Amino acid sequence: MRPLIAINFRDARPIYEQVRDGFRQLILSGVLPADTRMPSVRELASSLAINPNTIQRAYRELETEGYICSVPGKGSFVRERGEAAAARRAELLEKLAALGRELALLGVGEEEMLAALRGGDRT
Amino acid sequence: MIQVRSLVKSFEGFRALDDLSLTVPRGAVYGLVGPNGAGKSTLIRHLAGIYRQDSGELLVDGEPVYENPAVKSRMAYIPDDIFYYTQASIRDLMHLYRELYPGFDEACFERLGELFRLAPSSSMRRLSKGQQKQAAFWLALSLRPDLVVLDEPVDGLDPVMRRQVWGELLSDVAERGTTVLVSSHNLRELEDVCDHVGIMHRGRMLLERSLSELQDNLVKVQLVLPEDRELPADLEILHRSVTGRLQQLILRGKAEELTARLAAAEPLFLDPLPLSLEEIFIYELGGADHEVKDILL
Repeated sequence: MRPLIAINFRDARPIYEQVRDGFRQLILSGVLPADTRMPSVRELASSLAINPNTIQRAYRELETEGYICSVPGKGSFVRERGEAAAARRAELLEKLAALGRELALLGVGEEEMLAALRGGDRT
Repeated sequence: MIQVRSLVKSFEGFRALDDLSLTVPRGAVYGLVGPNGAGKSTLIRHLAGIYRQDSGELLVDGEPVYENPAVKSRMAYIPDDIFYYTQASIRDLMHLYRELYPGFDEACFERLGELFRLAPSSSMRRLSKGQQKQAAFWLALSLRPDLVVLDEPVDGLDPVMRRQVWGELLSDVAERGTTVLVSSHNLRELEDVCDHVGIMHRGRMLLERSLSELQDNLVKVQLVLPEDRELPADLEILHRSVTGRLQQLILRGKAEELTARLAAAEPLFLDPLPLSLEEIFIYELGGADHEVKDILL
């Protein structure tokens, strides 16, 4: 099976973060719906040629964040999106706020920011 | 799985290994990194039971390796320069390995044959250097070892084969808890497959760490503070560079905790940046000193 995520060795993020973020995105975007079985650590280690402990670590974090749950003897499964999505939403909104503050320092007005958010052209 | 304490080995007065210690936990993929001449291969030949140390202790699974068939029968070793009986075919070698190694798994050998796509009847001397290395991996993986020792393993393997071999090896690690020790002069090459790294230089171990421990303990941030604010006191700053009002800091500690503490100084701008493994080692080994850079890059 082709792996769902790709590791980019030029990416400065540690590999476990790339695995975690990759799956986070797949789950949030619905590519991996609730109750989907996650690839086993062995499958991923073999197809991506990366260390199994690295994958385990990414899975552990996804589990603490509420994206997946592990069923002993069966593997890991994607959870309902509710909680995880709420946490991620808070996190992303915080990032957006930080971006807003930085833009404000650069003298970008609220109108302009809103326009950029809507993706409309600013002319 | 492997414990080495204060190992010393001299060749005609040259101390190739100088009070070297190393610990490899069971199930770890341990990367041994160092420049040419650091003593990696010498250490590995001790692990394989080829050399006997002048002093110090070397244990695999609690037992010395030298002249110890019980330990060696569960170990696969692939040297950097492969030597086989030149007349032998891969299948002849398979028969030999089957006799020598009690754990040899013929079903596994057959299955791996599809991966390597070498004809078992081909004689070793007709194979290219890279193909000989593939054959070595094929035989090594088939003996279902508890410990795999690899000296510069990807030399001569093409990128596709390198990936397949590692995939196979790492799937073994996940499934059976195989321990792997692998040497390289290039940290970058090992970053994705290892979970522990040891850096050797001039016959000594400079630093040995688990990767997660390393990645969790250093943070790089960029920040701009308002004119009247100072950095919080008692941060452990390993490195600081300033460009205009923008400061770049390398700090020891956990990312979340440090960002929270820095945020208390109400920075105008605060951005945590990822650190590459090379950077981490450079700072862990005591700053951007040139020698350290030469060892790693």
